[in-house]
Amino acid sequence: MGSRASTLLREEEIEEIKKETGFSHSQITRLYSRFTSLDKGENGTLSREDFQRIPELAINPLGDRIINAFFPEGEDQVNFKGFMRTLAHFRPIEDNEKNKNPPATEPLNSRTNKLLFAFRLYDLDRDDKISRDELLQVLRMMVGVNISDDQLGSIADRTIQEADTNGDTCISFQEFMKVLEKVDVEQKMSIRFLH
Amino acid sequence: MFSRMAPRGRSGLGRSLAELGLLLLAILVLLDGTVLSLEAATSSEIDTHEGKPGTHKNTSKKSFPVLGIKYDDVSVPFEISLWVLLASLMKLGFHLIPRLSNVVPESCLLISVGLLVGGILKLARDEVPPVLSDRIFFLCLLPPIILDAGYFLPIRPFVENIGTILMFAVVGTLWNAFFVGGLIYAVCQIAQDKYSEIDLSNIGILPCLLFGSIISAVDPVAVLAVFEEIHINELLHILVFGESLLNDAVTVVLYHLFEEFMESGSVSAVDAILGLVSFLIVALGGVLVGAFYGILAAFTSRFTSHTRVIEPLFVFLYSYMAYLSAEVFHLSGIMSLIACGAVMRPYVEANISHKSHTTIKYFLKMWSSVSETLIFIFLGVATVEGEHHWNWVFLTSTVVLCLVARVIGVVGLTYIINKFRIVKLTTKDQFIIAYGGLRGAIAFSLGFILHSEHKKIFLTAIITVIFFTVFVQGMTIKPLVELLAVKKKHEAKRSINEEIHTRFLDHLLTGIEDICGHYGHHHWKNKLNRFNKKYVKKILIAGDRSKEPQLIAFYHKLEMKNAIQMVESGGGSKLNSTFPSTVSMQNIQPKIHSPPSARPSERALPQLTKGREEEIRQILRTNLQKTRQRLQSYNRHTLVVDPDEEGFDDLILKKRRMMELDWKVCKTSSHKSSNAIYSQAYVKPGAENVPTIKIDLASPQSPDSVRLLDEVVQDQGLTMSLPSSSSRAYKTSGKDDGRDQQKLLRCLSDPGPDVDDDEDYDDDEPVPT
Repeated sequence: MGSRASTLLREEEIEEIKKETGFSHSQITRLYSRFTSLDKGENGTLSREDFQRIPELAINPLGDRIINAFFPEGEDQVNFKGFMRTLAHFRPIEDNEKNKNPPATEPLNSRTNKLLFAFRLYDLDRDDKISRDELLQVLRMMVGVNISDDQLGSIADRTIQEADTNGDTCISFQEFMKVLEKVDVEQKMSIRFLH
Repeated sequence: MFSRMAPRGRSGLGRSLAELGLLLLAILVLLDGTVLSLEAATSSEIDTHEGKPGTHKNTSKKSFPVLGIKYDDVSVPFEISLWVLLASLMKLGFHLIPRLSNVVPESCLLISVGLLVGGILKLARDEVPPVLSDRIFFLCLLPPIILDAGYFLPIRPFVENIGTILMFAVVGTLWNAFFVGGLIYAVCQIAQDKYSEIDLSNIGILPCLLFGSIISAVDPVAVLAVFEEIHINELLHILVFGESLLNDAVTVVLYHLFEEFMESGSVSAVDAILGLVSFLIVALGGVLVGAFYGILAAFTSRFTSHTRVIEPLFVFLYSYMAYLSAEVFHLSGIMSLIACGAVMRPYVEANISHKSHTTIKYFLKMWSSVSETLIFIFLGVATVEGEHHWNWVFLTSTVVLCLVARVIGVVGLTYIINKFRIVKLTTKDQFIIAYGGLRGAIAFSLGFILHSEHKKIFLTAIITVIFFTVFVQGMTIKPLVELLAVKKKHEAKRSINEEIHTRFLDHLLTGIEDICGHYGHHHWKNKLNRFNKKYVKKILIAGDRSKEPQLIAFYHKLEMKNAIQMVESGGGSKLNSTFPSTVSMQNIQPKIHSPPSARPSERALPQLTKGREEEIRQILRTNLQKTRQRLQSYNRHTLVVDPDEEGFDDLILKKRRMMELDWKVCKTSSHKSSNAIYSQAYVKPGAENVPTIKIDLASPQSPDSVRLLDEVVQDQGLTMSLPSSSSRAYKTSGKDDGRDQQKLLRCLSDPGPDVDDDEDYDDDEPVPT
């Protein structure tokens, strides 16, 4: 642990991250130690291979997409700030936050931003629509190889038909949010980061 | 409000009142009949006694009795049936008066009826039969309700909130018991009532604690009865209901503990520790026993494909055995029953036929409904019957202390729990949880079997608390829920979108947890799921269904419901846009063609021409009429139409033809990848990709579809000839043969009264209240 002097976390950085993401001090340090343990190359950034080394992620059907979500457009390395920024989406929403000081911009872990994160995982080509093919891809990943294409196709069609309100055979973000309005996203998309 | 209803409603109200009056009259007559017949029974006994010495003396020759009364032999079943009939008629009666059932919850009405009946019986015979004996209650009346609750327990919210539920159940109940017990003792010591014949200060601390433990438990029956009518949101429902189920373990332990202590007379620290150990054993043991029987039931259901008729019986028997076995060892029977139902449900449902599933659902609902009604009525009767010792100090202080204890307990526990919860409990939630802590018949029965010298006063107090919670809290909780604008339950069913996206989020969260190195909720759930899929499902689920992903099973269920609705709503206009999809729940690789237009909204797809549509409608109309006029006889054991029935032969022929067609179609289904363009599912005679009508002969609407298919094949010229790719299908599907055959067999192996079942197939999900 001691030989990584160049990558130690500075107080200012911690404060920045705290302001941006809302994590507490102890949470940030804990996640930093996780970051460094994943960072085998010891250069302060994570690459895709570092993520793929996590064994459970390899068997996760959405593993690749999750990993991609950490990396900003076109880049291959993610630093700690980016790491925390992505993880901030999964912070539980706190009631008292609303009362104390309403933030200028919407916090990263608001319901809309959580759903936007999930939406972007479906929507690979970033055209703000989930097309039938993109949905099929995700379904195929989640369901496995036993099911025929026809069947999956009909499920995808049914899904789009249920959600699509403006008839463009794609699911836009608004439609996505509407479909999930009954689902308790605040609980489903939150991780209890231990203090 | 009444005047607004007057023009429309007065006649209706008058009518329903008249009906209720008639019902009451009928019931009174029935009851009097019981009274009279009991008297007749005693007198007929005297007759026979006199008859014997008569024959010895041989003085008078009695003529052959053409008509006689012999009530003794059937007295017990007769009276039981009479009670159940009374309960059911009462339930009917309440729903005839809509205004009454909106204001007053059913449980209150039923207790009132019980009071009424008890009063009548007491007046008529001057003594009331003790009907709510603890044997009847614990062995016959309680298990159906608990099994119904456990089998249909929503697992996901239950497990997600298990920490909170356990906290409320264990710590909350303990707190309640000690608080109420201790303070009642203090009150007894302090209070000096000159007017009462009982000396309150005689009641020792241990009886008080025993009393506290009986009265502190929230009752599942009462909670169910009240909460079901207020349609509160899922979280609160599962919290209060889960707590009421799980606190049974605590109650059992405390009860036995204090009883033992009372008999032995002294308490030591070792005893307290033993009590703690015994709690763990009672709770975990109950769950293990239940899970064991659940797995047995799941395993048994794997082999029932040839004896579908008795499938529901296994479910009920194994669950009841679980309950009884747990009771034998003084473990918590309720927890065992819940564990059994919850464990066996996913596997059993994958194995049994659709009809068995419906049977189980309806039987459970029916039994639990009747049980609940009977319990409340008996509660009323038993109130009238027992001797009561009214001691105002004791009674009021009990009620007040119960309320106070509940409120403090809930608030305190929520404060601690909120530190660990992602979604915190608000004050409104806390209020509802505290207010929903109803006591019920379990407390009464436990009090009934007390062996204490203060039994009567305890029983009176228990009844008072029960009445107070059920009447006051039960009646006011609905307006309070409206007033506080508590979130209500979402009535709509889950859509496929929600299902897919929820799974998606599960995977996402599991991944994120793994990245954080955080072994949280999702991590363990994922592990359990994988274990389940890999080993358990293979053992417990028959055949191919073990590999079916849950998403597909869910989708099948949706499709099935859709198809059934479509056919019921008169298939004609929708027939041109789609054909019934392959919606057997037992089919692994169906050919699905319908979905895009299963919903009646947009996207009318050009299908059959008008003429063809008319022809099809004609066919359906005539054939439907034919079937309804046939009278069927049936064999009790196989549910297949009797072979002697006229016209059965051509049904058999048609069925065979259908099977062949089905068989061939099944095989081609898996190889139609290139032709699958679903938005264009139209039919042309002689078309390459002929959309197939796959009929599930296990579903009730199949005979009409059978006829349609046959007619279509014979008359309409829609070629159901196999597309050219079928030859390819025959060759390449060599190894799939066996599997397809098995699939088909399972498809067809569910014998149903294929023709006469149409009439009673009603809506899939009624909620009997």
